[in-house]
Amino acid sequence: MINSINELWQFRELLVALTLREIKVRYKQTILGMLWAILQPLSLTLIFTFVFGIILKVNSGVVAYPVFAYSALVPWTFFSNSVTFGSLSVVNNGNLVTKVYFPREILPLSSIGAALFDFLMAGIILILILFFYQIPINLNFLLILLIIPSIIFLTAGISFFFSAINVMFRDIRFVIPLLLQIWLYVTPVIYSTNQVPQKYQIFFKLNPLVSLIENFRLVTVYGRSPNLLEVGFNLVLSLCVLVIGYWFFKSREKIFADVI
Amino acid sequence: MSQNTFAIEFKNVTKNYLITKGRYGLLSEKVGELFSFGRSQSNNRRVITALKNVSFKIKHGEAVGVIGRNGAGKSTILKLISKISYPNQGQVLVKGRIGAFIELGAGLHPELSGRENIFLYGAILGMKKKEIEKKFDEIVDFAEIRKFLDVTIKKYSSGMYSRLGFSVCAFCDPNILLVDEVLAVGDNNFQQKCLDKMCSFAKRKTIVFVSHDLRAIKSICKTVIYLEKGKIKKIGNPQEVIKSYLKEAKGDQI
Repeated sequence: MINSINELWQFRELLVALTLREIKVRYKQTILGMLWAILQPLSLTLIFTFVFGIILKVNSGVVAYPVFAYSALVPWTFFSNSVTFGSLSVVNNGNLVTKVYFPREILPLSSIGAALFDFLMAGIILILILFFYQIPINLNFLLILLIIPSIIFLTAGISFFFSAINVMFRDIRFVIPLLLQIWLYVTPVIYSTNQVPQKYQIFFKLNPLVSLIENFRLVTVYGRSPNLLEVGFNLVLSLCVLVIGYWFFKSREKIFADVI
Repeated sequence: MSQNTFAIEFKNVTKNYLITKGRYGLLSEKVGELFSFGRSQSNNRRVITALKNVSFKIKHGEAVGVIGRNGAGKSTILKLISKISYPNQGQVLVKGRIGAFIELGAGLHPELSGRENIFLYGAILGMKKKEIEKKFDEIVDFAEIRKFLDVTIKKYSSGMYSRLGFSVCAFCDPNILLVDEVLAVGDNNFQQKCLDKMCSFAKRKTIVFVSHDLRAIKSICKTVIYLEKGKIKKIGNPQEVIKSYLKEAKGDQI
């Protein structure tokens, strides 16, 4: 694995080039261009606010529901887009895989890189929204520096896993949207964790995204400090998912060009 | 690099491709295969042997042509050298940076401009950004696309498209050059330019050249490998090998 990481480092310029390609190409020939990066979480926020904030009156505590929803949708959209595009990346770049050699993990990583760019844009909007709602930002905000890497590692591990499987079974293309839809509902985006009945909490917490997204919202919107032990545990857990996903990907990589 | 070391060495290389019987194999079998990390193969499937126990050595600076009929395993050799694919048995040893002219344009993106594509394709071929910047003008001039540098290449003619692909490859300066049937690019004028470029490479670099164009092979290569059904039928100097290839292939279209 050390060798693989070394080689990946050798090819870092290709990773940058392919990430830039993803970002540039994605919004080519669209009228709104880069605006789509933020329109996606923003429009979901509007819908969620209408359905869950106004009609179903989900309790969002001291903050307004749109802020509550948007602050979770920012990391969620990153996760969802990365996994969607990441798992298709190897197959979609089949013409490269069968013709040129490079470490294949660059393909899912460049999808994640592009999604990270959108994440950054949406994050800036989040800060603007916080100003607009006059929600103070305090030092706890800095904890996102631990939470965001955890989200990225988890996302990368899962994308590696699915992109490798997708090479062999194209079913993954249909499984992913379904899976992500279910995943959204079992993650505290629309509601918050403390609204989940006590007896389901244990199962609920098995989803690694639960505390990541909950904590992201906690430090950005509520300005409160999360349980640091939990933050550390999440980081380690995400790293484990990354290592396992990467190992799985590398172990299947050699047959990609033959199977695609 | 000293002359007596090898740039490329194939040791008893066998490469099989699996062809599944139905559209999908049995799910249980598939899932089993997915989680068995070895190279177990079930006997239910047809195995196509692309290369059978092939061994050869290519010295540094040697230009080698590979000829043979369709399906003889020529492209498989290039894929094994460039580590796109891996052998089932045997070993492939390669020393040096590899540059592949395999199907030009695989790395080009139609939605990007010519300029952007030069940087993208260069990176795909393993060039550093600084290196590309240094050679940028040469690449553009060789491809003859200066006027259209900032146009998205989906608007390019197919000739311009492949000229761009060839030019980026031609300037990526590898130690080992793999060429798969790509000299038939552009008009006569540009084809001659490509051939000249190849001949100048042949003086300095290791080249493995797969082609049906026997004249080009003769003018570039010093050794020719003649493949038939995954085995080396003959290896040696171009005149002789090509002669025996033509004798065998008499009546067939080459």
